[in-house]
Amino acid sequence: MRLEKCWFCSSTVYPGHGIQFVRNDAKVFRFCRSKCHKNFKMKRNPRKVKWTKAYRRLHGKDMTQDSTFEFERKRNRPERYDRNLAENTLKAIKKIDKVREDRAAGHHTLRMKGKKAKKQREEAKELEQGITLVKAPSVLQEEPSLTLPKIKVKVSHQESQENRAMEE
Amino acid sequence: MGGKCPHRKVKKRRLSHKTARRTKFLVKGDDAVYEALKKPEEERRPLPVDEDLPGMGQYYCLHCDRYFPNVATRDEHFKTKRHKKRMKQMMGPAPHTQLDAELAAGMGMPDNGPKLMPM
Repeated sequence: MRLEKCWFCSSTVYPGHGIQFVRNDAKVFRFCRSKCHKNFKMKRNPRKVKWTKAYRRLHGKDMTQDSTFEFERKRNRPERYDRNLAENTLKAIKKIDKVREDRAAGHHTLRMKGKKAKKQREEAKELEQGITLVKAPSVLQEEPSLTLPKIKVKVSHQESQENRAMEE
Repeated sequence: MGGKCPHRKVKKRRLSHKTARRTKFLVKGDDAVYEALKKPEEERRPLPVDEDLPGMGQYYCLHCDRYFPNVATRDEHFKTKRHKKRMKQMMGPAPHTQLDAELAAGMGMPDNGPKLMPM
């Protein structure tokens, strides 16, 4: 069973799924779903469409060079069946898949690293501007937790007495 | 698609859809044109005489995959914006292929196995 890749979005095409177009120069184009087929018919370039793997690779969104990419290949000369080899391969697949996932997650965190301060600033601004959506302005004035606390200032009694004396 | 049509008097519909009307199977794909352009000059065969094509198929634009009735119209075509745009596109990086799609999906280069005939 050969699992092909979609020409447009590079997702896996399982047998019985998608559609295949053979051009009159015998070039084969496989598509995973009608979305990809339609985009091909519209002559869109997968490198310029943001949701495709080709775009994400080209713009540094995904990992590009990794040793785990060397395992899955199109083999034009099939391997002779060997029970032990098949068993070991099935075991290895799980491990390699985990390694790849971890590395991809590491790549993602590294990519998102410098954006925390920017995100915080943007969110603080949004909160400041949109606080009226959460609380009505009148409530905001009344509720003490949302406004600055009132400070009590002590006024000395002696001064007032002196003032009265002056008035008399 | 559709270029300017100089004779049209109706203001709303001034574009001609002559090229769009060509059957989709007659138009060469971008990658086919790119490969044809990559070939060196010597390898290109002289254009075969075809009486069904405009100008017996002798005046051809390789970039745009179009035939013209005579040299003058072809040279005029070379000056158009559309042709220049197409030329720029063909000078750029190679068009997307199935191999690119597979590499983007996290696959390695295709494995052809050991050589059967030792050289």
